[in-house]
Amino acid sequence: MICWSCEKDAGVSMLCPGCGAVQPPDRSADSFHVFGLPRKFDLDLADLERRYKEMTKILHPDRFARADPRARRASLERSVQLNLAWRTLSQPVARAEYMLSLAGVEVGEPAGGRQAGGADNRATQPMDTALLVEVMELREALAEARARGDSAKVATLFARVQTNHDREMAEVAAAFAAGQPDIAAIAARLVAARYYRRFLEEAEPRGESEEGLAK
Amino acid sequence: MPAEALFDISEPGESQTKQVSKGRAVGIDLGTTNSLVAVVQAGQPICLRDQHCSLLPSVVHYAADGSVVVGQAARDLAAQAPQDTIASVKRFMGRGPGDAEATRRLTPYEFAPGGDGDAVVRFSVRGGQRAVTPVEVSAEILRVLKARAEAALGGALDGAVITVPAYFDDGQRQATRDAGRLAGLEVMRLLNEPTAAALAYGLDKQAEGTFAVFDLGGGTFDISILKLEGGVFEVKSTGGDSALGGDDFDRALAAHLLRQMGLPEDAAGDRYLTRRVLDAARDAKEELTKLSATEVAIARRPGDIWRGVLTREELEAVVKPVLDRCEPPVRRALRDAGLEPKQLSGVILVGGATRMPIVRRLVASIFGREPLADIDPDEVVALGAAVQADLLAGNARKDVVLMDVVPLSLGLEMMGGVTEKLIHRNTTVPCGAVQTFTTYADNQTGFDLHVLQGERELVADCRSLARFKLTGIPPMPAGMARLQVTFLVDADGLLSVSAREETTGKESSIRVKPSYGLTDDEVERMIRDSFAHAAQDVSERLLLVERVEADRILQATRAALAASADLLVEGEGAAITTAMGALEASQAGRDHLAIRAAIQSLDAASKDFATRRMNQALQQGLRGRDIGAVESKVGK
Repeated sequence: MICWSCEKDAGVSMLCPGCGAVQPPDRSADSFHVFGLPRKFDLDLADLERRYKEMTKILHPDRFARADPRARRASLERSVQLNLAWRTLSQPVARAEYMLSLAGVEVGEPAGGRQAGGADNRATQPMDTALLVEVMELREALAEARARGDSAKVATLFARVQTNHDREMAEVAAAFAAGQPDIAAIAARLVAARYYRRFLEEAEPRGESEEGLAK
Repeated sequence: MPAEALFDISEPGESQTKQVSKGRAVGIDLGTTNSLVAVVQAGQPICLRDQHCSLLPSVVHYAADGSVVVGQAARDLAAQAPQDTIASVKRFMGRGPGDAEATRRLTPYEFAPGGDGDAVVRFSVRGGQRAVTPVEVSAEILRVLKARAEAALGGALDGAVITVPAYFDDGQRQATRDAGRLAGLEVMRLLNEPTAAALAYGLDKQAEGTFAVFDLGGGTFDISILKLEGGVFEVKSTGGDSALGGDDFDRALAAHLLRQMGLPEDAAGDRYLTRRVLDAARDAKEELTKLSATEVAIARRPGDIWRGVLTREELEAVVKPVLDRCEPPVRRALRDAGLEPKQLSGVILVGGATRMPIVRRLVASIFGREPLADIDPDEVVALGAAVQADLLAGNARKDVVLMDVVPLSLGLEMMGGVTEKLIHRNTTVPCGAVQTFTTYADNQTGFDLHVLQGERELVADCRSLARFKLTGIPPMPAGMARLQVTFLVDADGLLSVSAREETTGKESSIRVKPSYGLTDDEVERMIRDSFAHAAQDVSERLLLVERVEADRILQATRAALAASADLLVEGEGAAITTAMGALEASQAGRDHLAIRAAIQSLDAASKDFATRRMNQALQQGLRGRDIGAVESKVGK
C-alpha cells in the first residue's frame, strides 16, 4: 500500500517504514492475517496476547490524539480491526465459528427467529434430533431439581453438561488438527456446544443469564 | 460478519477526538461530593490546591443577587437556602424528569415544570426566576477548577480529561462532555474513574498483575477488574450502579433520624429540615468512621433542637441494605473477567465511602482478602486523569496505554419490543459491529431505528439512546431490502450509528444524541449565554488570582511573626495584625481590587519588619548555619 503521508510504498506495516505515519487497515485481511499468523485453530494464546498488546501500544487512538485527522482515522480503524480480531481468536468457540465462516459455513447465533422485523439471513444448521431430545431432558431435569430445591442435583447437572461441552470443544480442536478438517462434523459439534452453553448459562446459580453475557 | 463494512463509515469519531496543542493538559475528577483538578509536573501527577485544600465541594449556590457561589462557601449556604444550593448534581446528569432518581423523596430541591418533550431535569432556583440544568450546574464547578488550574499554571489550558463513573451510560457521558464544553474546556477524553485510579496506582507502585478497583463514591458505585502488565492497563470487565453511593447512606440514615425525631420520613416536604437532616446524617456517618458513637443535634424547627445518640452499630444496620447492592455487580464483573477472587493480586479502594469500616469488611468478605489501603481514595482518580491528559497531550511516556471497555451492551429494537445486542458489555474500545436486517412488510419504504443501551431483553427495560429513520427505500416485497447497520464506539466510549440499505445504497448516519441529553441547540445557547457573562468571568478569575496571592502572603507573614517576634518594634505587631485582619476580610468579599489594596497595605505595614528579618538572616548566613539546624542534627 502507498503511504497516505509520504506517498511511498508502506507495504503491510502498521507504521510507514519511511515516515512513521500510521497506515489504514487492509480491509480484506482476515483476523489471523491481522496478527501475522497462519489460519489454524491451535494457537499459542500467550503469543497471541503478546502480539495484541504490542500492536495496541502502537495503534491505540490515544497515541494519535494530537495527530493529523487522517492518522487519527487510520488509528481508530486499525484499532477496531485489531480488537475485533482479538475477540474472535482469543476465545476457542468464536475462533472455531470464525474458521468455519471463512470456509463458507455459518454457525453463529441466529439473530432472527424471535422477531418479525429483523430477520437475519445467516443460515442455521439443521438440528440433530438426538441432541434436541438430550437437551430437552436436561432442561426438564433442571426445572424439577430447582422446583424441589435440590441444589446438589443442579450442581451435578451443571458439572455433567460442562463435561459434555468441553468434550465437544476438544473434538472440535482435534478435527481442526486433522489434515483435511471435516467442516460438517465440526459445525455439528459447535452447535451441540452452543446448546450446552445455553444450558450452563441458565443453570448459573445467580440467575443472571438473561442479562446477555458476552460470548 | 462483514468486518470490512466497519470501515465504510463517514468520519468516525473525528469530532470527538479534538486536536490540542502540546502543553497544559489537566485531569479533572468531577465528583458527586467533591471535585479535584490535577496536573503532571516534572513527571509526577499532583492535585492542585486552593488556599484550603485540593477538594472542592461539588456544591453550587445561586444567590439572589445573581451571583454563583461554588465549593465550601456554597455548602455553608445550603442550610439557609436549600432549594438554591445544588449538591450532588452528578446524580442528575443525563437524567430525565421521569427518572425515579430525579423525583425521589427526601430531596431539598425544587424542580422546574418541564414542557412537553422536555427531556432534561431542571432545578428551579432564585424563587423560580431561573431554571438550571445539571449540565449548567456541573459547568460552574468545572469553571472554578479551570480557573484554579489556570492560576496555578499561569495560562490558558489546552485540554482536560474529565473522569466519569465506568458505569455511566451514553446519556450521562454526553452530559458530562457538554458540561466541559460549557465551562470552556477542551475535553480531550472522558476517562472511567476506576481506570484512572488503576493508572495512578499502577504507575506509582510499579504494580503488575490483575487488580480489582472497588470505587464507592458519593453517588456512584463502580467495580472494574484490570490487568496491569508491561505498561498496558487492560480493563477486563466493569460493572456497577450509577445511583449507589454515600448519598444513599446519608438518605437512609436521615430517614432513620426523622423516625427517631417522631417526624415523617419525607420530612413532610420541608426543604430546610430535609437539608439539616441530610447534613446531620452525613456528619454523623463521617464521625462514626472513627468513633463508635456520636451525638446528633438537629433543629426540628428554629429553636426546637432534637438531640440523640447514634452508634456505629445503628448506622451499619441502616446502611447494610443499601451496601448489599454492591455485591451482585462485583460477582458479575469477576465472572465476566473469568476470574475467581483468589486469582487477583489486590483490591484497590477508591472513593470517600470506602473509609467506612462496614464497607471495608464487605470488600474483605467478597474478595477474601484485606483491600490495599496505601493510597488516598479521594485524590487517586484525579491523579490518574492527569496522567492520561499528559499522555494525550503527547508530553509523556510512550510505553503506557489504557485499554477500556463498553460498560453496558448496545443494541437495536426489534419487532415485538425486544433488543438485539450488537455490542456486548465489556468489549474493548474502540470497537464496531455490523449486522444486516430486512423489512417485515411488503412495500415498506423506511426503517425506524431505535438505539438502546442495557442488559435487559425488553426494550422498555433498557435506556433509549436515540431514534432515527432511514427512508426512501423503493417498494419491495418483505424480506428483500437489506439494511446494514454499523455501530462504532470510539475511545471515549461514545457511540455512533450508521445504516445503509444495500440494494439502493441509501445511507443515513448519526452520532448518537441520547434522548435524555441536551440538544445541540441548547448547548450552543448556553455557550452563547456564557459569553454574555464573559466580563463577569474575567473578574471571577482576577478574584481567584488575588485570593490565592492573599493567602500566600498571609501564610508567609504568620510564619515570619511566629519565627521572629523578637524583631518587632513597639506597635509594629499590632499594625501588621490589623492589616492581616483587613486582608482576610477583603479576601472573603468579591472585589479583587479591594484584595489588591489590602495586600499592598499589609506589605507597607510589614516592610520594615521584613527588612530586619532579611538582615538577620544574612548575618546568620555569614556565621554559618543557624542554631536550630545544628540542634536538630544533634537531636537525631
